[in-house]
Amino acid sequence: MAAYILRRLVSTVAVMAIVGIFIFLLLRLAPGDPAAIIAGRSATEEIIAGIREQLGLNDPMPVQFLRWVRDMLGGDFGTSIFAGRPVLELISQRLEPTLSLSILTMILAVTVGVSFGILAAWRTGGIVDRLLAAFSALGYSVPVFVSGYFLIYFFAIRTHWLPVQGYVPIDSGLGPWFVHLILPTVALSLAYIAFIARVTRASMLEVLSEDYMRTAAAKGASSYAMLFHHALKNAGVPILTVIGISFAYLIGGVVLTETVFNIPGIGRLVVDAINNRDYPIIQSVLILTSGLYVLVNLTIDLAYTLIDPRIRY
Amino acid sequence: MPISRRNLFKAGIAAGTALSIPSVLRAQTMPTAARTVRMVKEDLRVFDPIWTATNITADHGMAIYDTLFALDSKFKPQPQMVGKWGVSDDKKTYTFELRDGLGWHDGTPVTAADCVASIRRWGQVAPGGQLLMEQARDISKKDDKTFTIALKEPLGLLIDILADLTPPCLFIMREKDASLSATEQVSTRIGSGPFKFNEALLRPGASYTYDRNEQYVPRKEAPDGFAGGKVVKVDRVVWDNISDQQTAFAALQAGEIEFLQHPPVDFFSVIESDPNLELPVLDRTGKDMLLRLNFLQKPFDNVKARQAMLHLIDQEAFMRVMVPDPKYVTTVTSIFGDETLVSNDENTGWYKKGGDPEKARQLFKEAGYAGEKVVILQSTDWAASNNGSQFLAAELRKIGVNAELAPSDWGGLTTRRANKGPVENGGWNMFITSEADYSLGNLLATPLLLANGDKAWYGWPKNDEYEALRAKWASVETLEERKALARKMQGIWWDFVGDVRLGKYIEPIAHRKTITGLIGMPQIVPMWNMQKTSA
Repeated sequence: MAAYILRRLVSTVAVMAIVGIFIFLLLRLAPGDPAAIIAGRSATEEIIAGIREQLGLNDPMPVQFLRWVRDMLGGDFGTSIFAGRPVLELISQRLEPTLSLSILTMILAVTVGVSFGILAAWRTGGIVDRLLAAFSALGYSVPVFVSGYFLIYFFAIRTHWLPVQGYVPIDSGLGPWFVHLILPTVALSLAYIAFIARVTRASMLEVLSEDYMRTAAAKGASSYAMLFHHALKNAGVPILTVIGISFAYLIGGVVLTETVFNIPGIGRLVVDAINNRDYPIIQSVLILTSGLYVLVNLTIDLAYTLIDPRIRY
Repeated sequence: MPISRRNLFKAGIAAGTALSIPSVLRAQTMPTAARTVRMVKEDLRVFDPIWTATNITADHGMAIYDTLFALDSKFKPQPQMVGKWGVSDDKKTYTFELRDGLGWHDGTPVTAADCVASIRRWGQVAPGGQLLMEQARDISKKDDKTFTIALKEPLGLLIDILADLTPPCLFIMREKDASLSATEQVSTRIGSGPFKFNEALLRPGASYTYDRNEQYVPRKEAPDGFAGGKVVKVDRVVWDNISDQQTAFAALQAGEIEFLQHPPVDFFSVIESDPNLELPVLDRTGKDMLLRLNFLQKPFDNVKARQAMLHLIDQEAFMRVMVPDPKYVTTVTSIFGDETLVSNDENTGWYKKGGDPEKARQLFKEAGYAGEKVVILQSTDWAASNNGSQFLAAELRKIGVNAELAPSDWGGLTTRRANKGPVENGGWNMFITSEADYSLGNLLATPLLLANGDKAWYGWPKNDEYEALRAKWASVETLEERKALARKMQGIWWDFVGDVRLGKYIEPIAHRKTITGLIGMPQIVPMWNMQKTSA
């Protein structure tokens, strides 16, 4: 097991290195000049050239690359060209909103999605199953900017029950923190509920049709025991995979939700950085996100051993 | 302790209480919501108002820094930090004395040395400042409160240059900050203005907080434009960066914010019908939309092709694409803007309501246009450029011009516009840009009215006769003389077609009716004098 974990961690470093080179080249080869954006729309070429020189953007690409790698190996992820602050400080400021939204979304999506999926599988063709089919179609097809504005209109503008936008840090009080996250969590979780419910239903149906389930039923096992002790445990591996991948995707993929509900998270940090060509931020976030993806996948793989003792590394 | 449901419940309550304590403590020191105004503007990406020439950073500068002179509502310069000033008989030496009570946010007094260093730094980048540095024999402090500017030759526009509000404006910074090169960003945010920047609440990309500077001593005069007493009537102003326009508007409707600088055009009618909202125009001078043509490449290296563009443009139709409500748009035919002191109607016979596509087709033919590709740089993240470029391409195709759009974001456009080569090598032929109408009235502030070839702004227009007249601009003493000079320059400009005007847009702002006392000036929204009443 230890050797397996070590191998996977080494592969994480390799993935991050490849991503780093790719991102560095992509950013430098793509059109766009941070100096021109800093200088403003009507700035002259002379002023833009001065800023470019000051930022070190005139240095040859290999020099810039080696400088970046050297600094990063020393733990320095660079300074934002625009904000003038260390990139890690900016990322850490944005991590809390994104993690809060992602965790709440996963809690809601897993709770509702798995429950829906089990019920639908247990009564295939019944009312819950049909409702799930309809809900899944809706959850997949309604983009977050539609469901988001819909929720804002009814629950913030019409009724004033919940705030339209913004994020309150958790250390400013659990109540305000939670209240500001209700609408974005609901809007974001719709698609994930649909996804997890469909996968749970499919996995459960497969397990429920196994011989040992018929044997359990013949031996008089209760519905509860059959569903939760026998079926869900055996259907757990694909469900866990979906949950893990969804969570990893959420960390880097909540841009639209963060934009609609004005949550200052990682997604918006990257989008703003791309618009501004703030290279140090883009490079650092993408590298760290790639590492996170690999680590989440590793965690899922290790978690398999907990629910299925046949799996060994 | 055994883990029971009851113990778990108790632990949950204790954790919740502990997490709430910081907010309780903070609430005791925070200004009340009734004395806090929340505004949505653009994102404040850069804090140094000399390092960048963007309006939003100038807005930030106006809050935390102060200026030597300031323009009143009639655009006349008035002393602001300066108490007394005078000029020698030969009009070559100006002496300035700072008024009493000026102090930095760190508690130290503002000195003449700070002013001298600030002028020198600003003089590296601002067009007016660069002219001043060329003309200056010496800029030095006499004592802690007095400094002089000695000139080689009289410069009639000196005070106007010092007071100009086209970014980068002359904000006075501490000497140690102003000693940096203008191409190096100042990292501190300590000014002497009526607001203090709250570093503890800074959330880059999300929110920026300004607290009332209780030590600030305003002038005694009533506020008038940027001049007069800067009396702050709220405790705190927060700039929230809400990138989604619809969300920003919903926040305004719900009362979560009080001010929206760029309300979406589609919502104007909704705002007008909402009893809690207002849609006033603060910047009555507006923004002129312009089309830059590349003088170095075919077909616009030929004056006939440039004249064709002048005749092709239907300003009313173009502006309708941008702003459906005609109340906020107008045509513009003067190179000096529509409402400046030097706007005029010289040589504007080319203007025809609806444009003249037939004449444009004829002129392209006379220019020897043979179907070569005409590349329009289209900025897809700027609605005016995005929509306007598509409209432009369609109009060109109607008269047989092989127009091709080159879409990218503004960042991509800024790279490509610097390419002077032919379109086959990544060059370009035209792109849409904008300039404040006010700035076009001041030749020393805008680079868009230069026609000195390689040194001119993108498009690199060149005309020696025009440039000879432009060189006289700063030395002309009276407004009447300047108006006469402006007419001559405009006559030449429209003959060689230095650029093409597309119309003017006056953008209203939206705010809740609880906000009063907003000062209307071009480009910058000052936060002093603003009041918040209960809903």
